[in-house]
Amino acid sequence: MNVTCSDRDRIFEDGTLAEWAALEAHGTSCPLCAEEIRAWKSLSVAAAELRDHSDSPSFWPRIERALAEEAARNAQRAGRKSWFSFLPNFSPAWRTVLAGAFVLLLTISASWFYLHPPKGPETEDKSLLKSSALREVESAESAYERAIDKLAAETKPQLENPSTPLLANYHEKLLLLDSAIADLRAQAGMNPSNAQLRYQLLAMYQEKQHTLEEVLEARR
Amino acid sequence: MGTMGLALPWKARISSTLRERGTRVQPSEQFAGGPSPAAVDALSEDAALATACRSGDLRAYERLYAMHGGRMKNLARNVLGNPIDAEDAVQDTFLKVQRSIASFRGQSSFVTWTYRILINTCYDARRSRLRKKEVANDDSVETPRPEPRAPGAHPTLRMALERALGKLTRHQRDVFLLYEVEGFRHAEIAGMLEMTETASKNTLFQAKKNLRQMLEPPRSGAADTR
Repeated sequence: MNVTCSDRDRIFEDGTLAEWAALEAHGTSCPLCAEEIRAWKSLSVAAAELRDHSDSPSFWPRIERALAEEAARNAQRAGRKSWFSFLPNFSPAWRTVLAGAFVLLLTISASWFYLHPPKGPETEDKSLLKSSALREVESAESAYERAIDKLAAETKPQLENPSTPLLANYHEKLLLLDSAIADLRAQAGMNPSNAQLRYQLLAMYQEKQHTLEEVLEARR
Repeated sequence: MGTMGLALPWKARISSTLRERGTRVQPSEQFAGGPSPAAVDALSEDAALATACRSGDLRAYERLYAMHGGRMKNLARNVLGNPIDAEDAVQDTFLKVQRSIASFRGQSSFVTWTYRILINTCYDARRSRLRKKEVANDDSVETPRPEPRAPGAHPTLRMALERALGKLTRHQRDVFLLYEVEGFRHAEIAGMLEMTETASKNTLFQAKKNLRQMLEPPRSGAADTR
């Protein structure tokens, strides 16, 4: 391979081994290139003077200590962050969006409750009687029972031996009412606070009382 | 011919074993064909080291220090000019690696990435030192003040070289130190300094040309044939 003085810089910058060998061969006959090659190589020789890879025995322990302290601090921070670890790891932008949506939801909810306040009595379950109402119903039932017992005692002779078809019908009706009252009393016994049952029972008592009064009217 | 094609910085890989520290007077980078088995081993070792460091294993950091600590400290000393600042910079680098290892995606080799952090840390320290001293000079022309170190074979030559290096641009100084002093390949330097391999070669050429002008006694004009 033939090289000339003009190839020198290119070879210095990025020459192959073969080109370097050719340049050095050229240097044997070219004092200027020989001097340039010597000066170029001397920089590499001089660079070796800046190389000192000797180790200091205390240096790694110092780094190790710093790394351990940093790891401990990270562990502490991670412990604090674990309070929020149930939250998915969203990006800050998404966290902002979610926080905004949450605030908006809270505002809408608060506005809704402000504009539509709950009405206490209407929201109660009407299908169940409170203890005070239950006592009133039971006393009404007792009053009906006492009145019915008196009327039944007075109408007993006519109803046991009905002299007219009307009285016989009343008798049949009273038997049906007694049967219905017995059923309702049985159900109300199992569920005393069931308002519907208690009101039906009261209605049956009322109907029986009216029927007995009609029997008395018919007798007169 | 040598490798002239552009090499993307992230392709640059550094062998974990220190290469021959002899004086580099001729090119040592003649690549041909695919990666050698040694290079493949180095890649897997580099990846294993990164994984171990990511898991927080302090022994992995110790291994990194054992393989590169001396070179890192020497590089930092040549950039910063004194061994105390150099040790601080190396320690900061290890801490930064520990803090940022989770974000390391393996786009470059782990060791390349570590040296990149070291170089940036050194220049951050230089800037910080400049601010503290309220010196208005340009960073690139700031001359580190070398402190005494173990005497070499040519202390006068070393001091002259240190002074001349301080007058180079940052990139020229970095490439010269990484190539000529620390023995990295251009492909590795390209990864560390985020430049192309060709740019690394050209920067080294410019650095050596400038150093030669600064260090060599003036010659007669007739001697220059270029």
